[in-house]
Formats: sequence, C-alpha cells, structure tokens
Amino acid sequence: MGPLYKFGWFDFAYSLQLAGLIGVFFGFLLERAGFGNARKLVAVFYLRDFAVLKVMFTAIVVCMLGLLFFSVFGWIDLSKVYLLPTYIWPQIVGGFVLGMGFVIGGYCPTTSVVSTVSGKLDGLIFVVGMILGSIIFAELFPLIETFYSSGSMGAVRLSDVLKVNSGIIALLASLMAVGAYWLVEKVENKLGDPETLPVGSKKVKLWAAALFVALGLVLAVINPDRIVAKRASAHVEPKPKTEAVQKAPPKPAEPASSGAVIIEDEGC
Amino acid sequence: MKTRYANPYVVGALLGLVLLFSFYTMGRGLGSSSSFARIATAGVNLVAPEHAAANTYYSKYLKGGRSPLMAWLVFLTLGAGLGGLFSAFISNRVKGEVIRGPNIGVSARLWLALFGGILSGFAARLARGCTSGQALTGASELAFGSWVFMFCIFAGAYATAYFLRKEWL
Repeated sequence: MGPLYKFGWFDFAYSLQLAGLIGVFFGFLLERAGFGNARKLVAVFYLRDFAVLKVMFTAIVVCMLGLLFFSVFGWIDLSKVYLLPTYIWPQIVGGFVLGMGFVIGGYCPTTSVVSTVSGKLDGLIFVVGMILGSIIFAELFPLIETFYSSGSMGAVRLSDVLKVNSGIIALLASLMAVGAYWLVEKVENKLGDPETLPVGSKKVKLWAAALFVALGLVLAVINPDRIVAKRASAHVEPKPKTEAVQKAPPKPAEPASSGAVIIEDEGC
Repeated sequence: MKTRYANPYVVGALLGLVLLFSFYTMGRGLGSSSSFARIATAGVNLVAPEHAAANTYYSKYLKGGRSPLMAWLVFLTLGAGLGGLFSAFISNRVKGEVIRGPNIGVSARLWLALFGGILSGFAARLARGCTSGQALTGASELAFGSWVFMFCIFAGAYATAYFLRKEWL
C-alpha cells in the first residue's frame, strides 16, 4: 500500500534518486508542451493559447481521479499523503503576486528552469530573480511573520469546507475542467493563431471528456470517504492522521499526529 | 517557422500520472520553488553563517545538520532541468536567445524578467508553494487553500496582463 516511502520501502538516499527521476519526466513534459518559452506561457493571459490552463486542469483531474480511485481500492493511504495546510490570507496574496510575477517575468518557478536549460537568457535571469526574492522574503520574515501565519485553517480539503463528500467534489472538478476546455477552445479559435494551436480529433476529445465526467460520477455515487472510513474502522488500530495541523478546524475529532515524519516545507 | 508543441491534453494527462506516481511512491507531490529558497539559504550560509542561523526563515532550511541542498525538491528540480534539456535537445530547441515580444528591447525584457522573478520568489515563499508545489499538487489532493491559490494566480495574471501587452504582443 502506498505511499511506499511512508511505509518504509526505501530510505532517504533512494528517495533523492527517485526525485531526480520524477523530475526528469516533469521537466521533459513541460518542455514538450512548450513551457520553456515565455511567449507560449503568457499567451494564456492574452487569450491566444490556453495550453497552460489545459495542462494544469488535465493533470489535476487525472491525478485527483487516480488518488481517489487508488484510495477506494486500498492501494494508497491518503491520510499518509502530505496535505498542504491552508493559510488563506497569505495564499490569496501570494497567488495574486505570483500571477503578476508570471506575466511580468514570463515564467513560473519550474518553467523558468526548463527555459534556462534550453538556453533562454530571460529564463536564467528569472531564476536569479527568484533567488533574490527568496532572500528578500527571508530578510523581511520578522516583519511578515504574523501575516504569514494568518488565516490558518489546518490541512483542510474542499470537502471539509463545503461539507460534501470527496466524490461530489471530484465530479464537480471534472465538470469544471470539461467546461473550461470547451470555453477556452471557443476563445482560442477566435483569437489564437491556427498555425500553432494543437490539432486534435473532436471525437477523441469528446470521449476523453465523457470519461472524466463518468469517472467523477462513479466517485460521486460510491462516496470514497465512506469506503475509506469503513475500512479504517474495520481495522483494530485507529488510523493515524499524519497531517501536520497546528490548529485543527472544527471538524470530527482527529487522533494526534503520529507515524510518518513531516518536514514543514514538504509542499513546494 | 512556427513551432507547434505537443498536445496540451496529452501532456497534462501524462503529467497527472507522473504526479500520481510521486504521491504513490513518496506521499508528496511535485514542486520547485523551495529549491531556490534553499539555494539562497546555502549562499547566505556560506557568506554569513551567523546571520543565516539567526534568521527564523533560513534556519528552517538549515535544520537536521544536512546541507540545505540535500533535499527532495532540489533533486527534483535538477531532474526537471535534465528532462527539459533532453526534450529541447531532441527537438532542436536549445538555442541561446531572449524570449520577448516584437515591441520590446532585450534589456527591458531582461529587467522585467528579473523583477518578475523577484516577485515570484517572494510570493512562492509567502504562499508556501508555487504553481507546481501549491496549485498542481495541492489542487489534485483537493486541498482548499491550493484551489483558492490557483484561482488567485489566474486573477493576478489577468489583472496585470493588460499593462504588459507591450512586452508580449
């Protein structure tokens, strides 16, 4: 049962090698999509080419469906997967500023790496800027520490906040992605450059969209949360929650954190 | 000649599988921005170790007695560089150049790249992650803050895009 590392399948040294391997695939795919080129990336903000949005939404939905089905099949213990805690105010401001940095600089952190290795000087300068930005953040940290920890809600999921099960959320996310594809392709076909827009068979797209919605629908019907909770109560030992939560939100009582070691910056 | 890149839906689906593989093996997703914070920390620690140790934020990366660079995401970022290089190489896209719109000069573009980088580096630390570590990874786990963060990226970018049209269009 996954995650393998948390169940002691391999050690830290091996995990670093695995990180390199996963990174190779990550960087390879980003470059394939053209994300080493700032103009290709920012075209999404000028409504010319929505590759960024399509890649992101597709990756999110595929991985989300995978995680939920894996947990239903008992292949992965989601409570041992690190979940980023929500600090709503710094996340709102940080997201907004990161978006500004994206348009101004032309990249986001990982794509600037891909850009740099393919020889783009602007990508390298962006990387230098990010290192400087990190230093500025650390130097100013005493001043922003209060804001940095404001709006803490703990490691909450959409299902906790909206009070519906993860299956319904999965269905809504699938529907949202499919709706977004439909909308952005309409816009793209109007404003984009047909010579650079991706070609694709309409039939394949429709089948893929139907598959997304169908898988979301299955999850909404079977309710993965109920199945996982049932399996957990079938075991004698209570399932330890590993989320590093300082202030738990008002939700069903959780056992104290135990088990896997969580380093604070495990997210990004 | 104009480049037509790989189909974004196919890339997205494969990226989703890579992310799933990362969750399955490691119990954590992708990311990169903290690598730059770690590089910054390593640099500051080299030049002024007392200063780094006294700062709450640097010392977070100096814990554990290991070099701040001996971290999962640093290796992932190195891998991403290799993978990106390989992909660019096989398509003849490795070329020294500055990517910019037709209406902006090289030096102006590079200053903007630097400024955008500084903003992004700062913002990624503030939000505890970037487009991959926070938006992609967190959103696929259906983390509440990550969804809010992702929509805020788009909001911030769309709000700014108009003022920078000379840089790109």
